[in-house]
Formats: sequence, structure tokens, C-alpha cells
Amino acid sequence: MALVNLTGVTPGTWDVIDTDSAPREGAAVAVPLARLADEDETFFKAVGSVGAIVPTDAAYTDLAPLANKLAFVVIDFPAFGDGRGFSLAVRLRKDLGFKGEIRATGPVIPDQALFLKRAGFDTIDVADDREAAFKAALERFGAFYQTDFVGQLSVAHLRHSKTDSSDKDADGERKAS
Amino acid sequence: MYAYDKYDHAITNARVAEFRDQVERRVKGELTEEEFRPLRLMNGLYLQLHAYMLRVAIPYGTLSANQMRRLAHIARKYDKGYGHFTTRQNIQYNWPKLSETPDILQELAEVEMHAIQTSGNCIRNTTTDQFAGATADEVADPRPYAELIRQWSTFHPEFSFLPRKFKIAITGAALDRAAVKWHDIGLILKKNDAGEIGFEVLVGGGMGRTPVIGKTINEFVHERDLLSYLEAILRVYNEQGRRDNKYKARIKILAEDLGAEEYARQTNEEWARIKDQPLDVPAEEAARIKSFFRAPPLPVLPDDVPAVDELEKKNFLFKAWVKNNTNPHKVPGHVNLTISLKPHGGIPGDATAEQMDLVAALADEYSQSEIRVSHEQNLILPHVAKKDLPAIWADLDEVGLGTANVGLLTDIIACPGLDYCSLANARSIPLAQAITERFDDIKRLQDIGPLKIKISGCINSCGHHHAGHIGILGVDRKGEENYQLLLGGSGAEDASKAAILGPGFDEHGIIDAVEKVVAVYLGEREDGEEFLAAYRRLGPAVFKEAVYGAR
Amino acid sequence: MAKKITGPQMIVANRLLDGRVVFMRADGSWSTVAGDAGTAEDEGGVAALETLAQKSAHANEVLSIEVIEATIRDGKPFPAHMKFAMQATGPSVRTDLGYQVSPNWER
Repeated sequence: MALVNLTGVTPGTWDVIDTDSAPREGAAVAVPLARLADEDETFFKAVGSVGAIVPTDAAYTDLAPLANKLAFVVIDFPAFGDGRGFSLAVRLRKDLGFKGEIRATGPVIPDQALFLKRAGFDTIDVADDREAAFKAALERFGAFYQTDFVGQLSVAHLRHSKTDSSDKDADGERKAS
Repeated sequence: MYAYDKYDHAITNARVAEFRDQVERRVKGELTEEEFRPLRLMNGLYLQLHAYMLRVAIPYGTLSANQMRRLAHIARKYDKGYGHFTTRQNIQYNWPKLSETPDILQELAEVEMHAIQTSGNCIRNTTTDQFAGATADEVADPRPYAELIRQWSTFHPEFSFLPRKFKIAITGAALDRAAVKWHDIGLILKKNDAGEIGFEVLVGGGMGRTPVIGKTINEFVHERDLLSYLEAILRVYNEQGRRDNKYKARIKILAEDLGAEEYARQTNEEWARIKDQPLDVPAEEAARIKSFFRAPPLPVLPDDVPAVDELEKKNFLFKAWVKNNTNPHKVPGHVNLTISLKPHGGIPGDATAEQMDLVAALADEYSQSEIRVSHEQNLILPHVAKKDLPAIWADLDEVGLGTANVGLLTDIIACPGLDYCSLANARSIPLAQAITERFDDIKRLQDIGPLKIKISGCINSCGHHHAGHIGILGVDRKGEENYQLLLGGSGAEDASKAAILGPGFDEHGIIDAVEKVVAVYLGEREDGEEFLAAYRRLGPAVFKEAVYGAR
Repeated sequence: MAKKITGPQMIVANRLLDGRVVFMRADGSWSTVAGDAGTAEDEGGVAALETLAQKSAHANEVLSIEVIEATIRDGKPFPAHMKFAMQATGPSVRTDLGYQVSPNWER
């Protein structure tokens, strides 16, 4: 596997532990959300840092009580067409104020790279032979029609912003045809 | 009309390059068909029975003459000389090659067109009143808002992989010609007491196998809040819409499960959180977009035109054409002219490249170079001076576009059906042909009056049979085409669901049944009572008895 | 795949590059003529045809492979169901287009 970095974050490394295996003391661990909900403070104190592995059918409200204890979140797509993963990332950034790394795992495809980035993901786990395609897809579009929750303003705003150094006047004066 | 700026051009051109790359990767095997399929669908490319099918977006049904000429050129160069205008105000080509589709998209991009999100589980082309900005009965022109939605919904990072397709329609007029109550989101432009413009917002309409009429979740959303409000509706749907069963994945099912009140509550709660983010466009941008849709400078002309009156006296078909195919324009002396794509015996919605070229030429000469497409699969010249009607009619009639049947029984909506579509269970087009041949008499049609027949070749309801005054649904009964008859639907402001009358028919039986239904209406109607009103008054029993007799 | 075989079966698909309807010959090559199709009447034979077709799909030559029932007309197979018969002939409402004109109607 290769890791595609969307935001320039320093990507974390961690142990993935399942529902009942014990974490190494002091280690960074990625834990299924269902288990984390049952763990108490002693678990969080025993390990170095904790991340949640979140299925796309989780409600963002389930993450709310945990968000300030998590160092990172892994959103695991069961299929690339499962768009709930995008809303989960948006919710983490927008409603839960989550600042840690958000990683996408599962069968997402290169053509979703910019969507993932703009929804709030930092990194994507991808098959080695697809790394180049993911990186190419990130370069595909340079302007966007929506304002997102990670700092991109829509072209509707850019068209009227003073920092837009382009030939706006010429374009702005175009007559309807 | 809206004109692209450098951002629009850059985004559309990038999309063409992206699709070219995707096609190359598919052909080389770097993308599987399973992965490629949703990508091609989001560029409007289906695989149908005989070939690929490309659905090109005609945003809110508005076209320039130049764009129409480009559509004709594409029909000639990449297809078989014709195209099919659809119930979503788009155009479909039935024979494009995968290998040539990127070139077609390039040709479209050159005239500020695309095929973006004309299919797939994403927000589709926003549809509206075909007379928008040109009709006498309008609160405000819906097209600037449709363009705002077009831009906002294009490549939305969060809403490109929804549970199912998503369709938005807007009307600005008292008469709903856009069937807004049958859409995932319906928007009705209105003014509040302060004279400000906003929208009544309906959610959860849809056809398919579970027809539902949309319900109002907000009586007035201010125009400046439109996009953030839509975003709130979509976020609730993307998170909670069902993904386990494609027949229960539309927003109508979620809205029914939650109830309209709860859907409204969740939407309003989310909207309260996001309304102050810069999701909506700044006032300068709203003004910029509106400026493209300023009313054209038409002179006020007399409504009485002696030359038209004289030709009407001499030529009954011209008189009928003026009566049936024109709608009052907001500028006196002008009309919105509907060009029927429903010639009797023809294929509803089809137009040849030559016909497209002629319509483009007429638009240049007589209609400010503007053309519209209606969801009823006709073309409109929106800004025609009455005095020009005789000349236009002569030109149209020569190429088979002069049929005087708009709004009448033979102005049939029909999906492509089993003649083209891989989802269909039965053919639709031959029924439309047989019905229009059976009723090939404009005098008789005018006597019958407004009557909408809508035909679908399968339960997906692309032919809107649920909303037909008379609806016909094709099914596969043990390998034979069979047709169910439905009565009493409406797609207008008085939206209603059509109900199945009784057992189905073969393709001859269904034509006879339609004729019997019409005969009951003619016998039972009161003075000036239209078909739908008569059906609502009479109920199904009398029609059932006439159609099924002693069965 | 698990459906019961009650008569001759044939394979229809669309060519990847242009989408045109093709029928699989017994040797795994593709023809625009339904009558050229190879048929099989038992599970093993159908599975063998399907394997050949899948191989072609994996080679990115065709997509949308369907095993369909055939009827035998004048000794040659033809799709039994109306939907696939439509694929063999072209749209019934445009007899000036499609395969009803000629199997080589494209050029």
C-alpha cells in the first residue's frame, strides 16, 4: 500500500487493533469505533495516542463524545460509492472541530481524490499501482464551485474578491449572448 | 443567457480532459467496468440495448441558436443524424461510440455545454418552466437560481455519491409547467410581505415504483439563503438516505419515513449551523448571474395583427397552430411559440439534424437567438412577434414541425422504451405512434381539449405515467408486452397520482381503451369541463365500466 | 447463472469501444450476426461459453455479457426474448437504422 498525502499533514503511523486485542503500552493505536465507545479513561491513558476506525454507517453524533480524545480518525469505505464517508469527514471538521488527521481507507478511486481532500481528509491508503493516478487526479481541477469547510472559497466569491489578480474586468463585462 | 467566464471554461475543459483520461484508462484496463460505470454515468454516458447513449445537459432547458447548431453537428458527425429531447429538458444521442465521446464533450465545451451529472447518483440538471423570463404569469425568472444551483451542484465534494439520483425543479409562475411537486426538491418562487424574493421548498417528490408528491418543508426561504438551505437538505439525505435497496434510496422514502415535519426540523437545525458560512454567493455574484437573464429589448407591438387574422380565416391548421402552440408573452404583441416534436405517427421528442438547424435559424431570425426545451419534449421559441407567425409556420410546416397539437391528446410524453432502453420492459414509442394516428384530426383533438397522455416502458417512470391525465405503463407479462392504463394524474400545480383502472392490455387493446376513456369523457363532460376535472368529478367507475364492460 | 437451462443458450454482449451488439461464436470470437452465435444446451457447455466471454471482457473487448435463451430459426440461433431480439434487429421504430438494415450497417 501507498499513502497519498492530500494536505501536507505529517501522517501518523499506528497499530491497528481489533475488538479485543490489548494495545502495546504507549503505542499509537487505531481502534474500531464500537470498541472505543465502551473503553474508559484507563484505556486512553495506557496508550500513547488513539484513533478511531469509523465505518461509513456511523452517525457523526457517535463521534462527538470522543472527538477531543482522538488523535486521528480512519474512515473506512466499504465501497467507493458510499458517499456517507464524505459527510462524516465534513462533520468532523465542521461540527466537531476535529483538527487531527483524517484518513480514507477502502476501495476509493483516484477520481475521488479532490472530493476527499475537500471533504476534509488528509490522507488516503491506496494500492501501490494507483498512487500515480491519485496524484494526477489531485492536479485536475484548479477552481471549484463550492465553498467547503477546509478553506476553499467558491468561484462565486473569487469572482468578486480583490485578490483575484486575473482579467476579471474583461470577463465581468461580458454581455449575455 | 448565461455566458461562461474563465472559471467556467477552465472547469468544463478540465472535465473533458478528465473524461478523456478515464476512457483511456478504461480501455487499457486500469479502470474496471465497475469503477468506470459511475464515472461515465456522471458524464451522461449509458450503455443501452444497441449502443452507448450520451445524455447532454441543456441547463434549465435554455439553448442558444449556436448551441442548437452544435447539437445538430454532433448528431450528424458522431451519431445517426438525429437526437431525442427528454423529459428533463436534455438531449440524448442513441449511437455514440465510447472512443469518440471525449471528442463530443470537447465540441460541447466549445459552445459552453457539457454532459456533467446528467446521470449517476448525484444532483442532476435543474429543470424549470420552458417559458421562464418570457411568460406573462411569473413572479420572477427562475433561471438565475437554476444557474446558481447548476454551479453549486457541479462536482460537489460531499454530494457526488448520494444514495440515488437527485432532481431539483423550479417554477416562477402560477401555473406549474415544471412539475416541481414531482421532484426530489421542488422550489416555488414567491414574494413575502416585504416584497422580497424567496422560495417555498418542497421535499420528497418522485415517480419510480413508489410515486410520491413532494411536501412543503419551508414556506419561505430567502433567495440569498438558497444554496445553504439546499446544502442542509442534501446533508440530511446523504447521511440518512437508505443505501441497502436502490428502490428505497430516493429522498422520498427518507422523507416519508421521517415525516415532513421531522425532515424540516433536521434541515432547519443543520441550516442554522451553516447559514453564516460563505456557502451562499455574495450579492455581487447574484447580481452578475441575474444580469445575464435580463429581458431582451422587445418593442411593444399591437396584439391584433391583420395578416395573422387573414391567414387564420383561410387556413384552419394555421389557426389551430396559433391557438394551441402559443402562450402569452409578457411583452404585448409577442408570444412564446412551442414547436411540437410530436408529429402524428412520429417519435415523440426526436428531431433530425436538419430540423435542429432550422429551429436555430428561426431563433436567430425571430426569437433573439434563444430556444427552450420543455419537459414535455417540445422546443420553444420564447420571444416571437405575432406578426412573424405566418412566416415561421410556413418554414416549420415544410420540415414536419408544424403540428398544431400542443397541450392536446397527441402531445404525448413517451420514454424511449424497449426500442432503445436496456431497463425497459415494453415499447413506448409504437404506442405513441398508434395513438397519434388514431386521433389524427386536429378538429377532433381541439374538441377533446387539454389532455395529457404519458407513457413509460417500465416502472422507472421516465415517461411520467404517474402524472398523466391518462398514464400508460408497459410491463413484461410472461415475455409479452402488456400495458396498464392509469387515470387522473397531474404534473401541474394541482399535482395528483394517477390510479390504475384495471387489468392490462396488449398493444392494440390499450389504444382501444384510450379511445373508450375519451368517449366517456365526451359524453359526460359539463360545459367547458376539461378531461382531468371531469375525471375528478366522475371518479373511475364510469370509465371502468366503459373500458372493461361486462368483464 | 444458477437459472435452469431448458433449451439452447447463446451469449450477447456489447463491444467496449463502440457499444455495438455482438454475439459470441463457439470459438469465443464475436459476430454482429445473431445466427453466428455458438449455443450450448447443458450446464457444462454454458459455463464453457461464459468462461470464453469473461476472458474477452477481461481483455477489455466487450462488456455487459448476458447468457440468453435462443430459439432456432432455419437452423440458426436467434434470441428468444423480445428484449434481446430487439438487440439483434435494432429499434423497431427506426427500421432504416440498426442491424435490420445490414449486419455491417456501421460503415
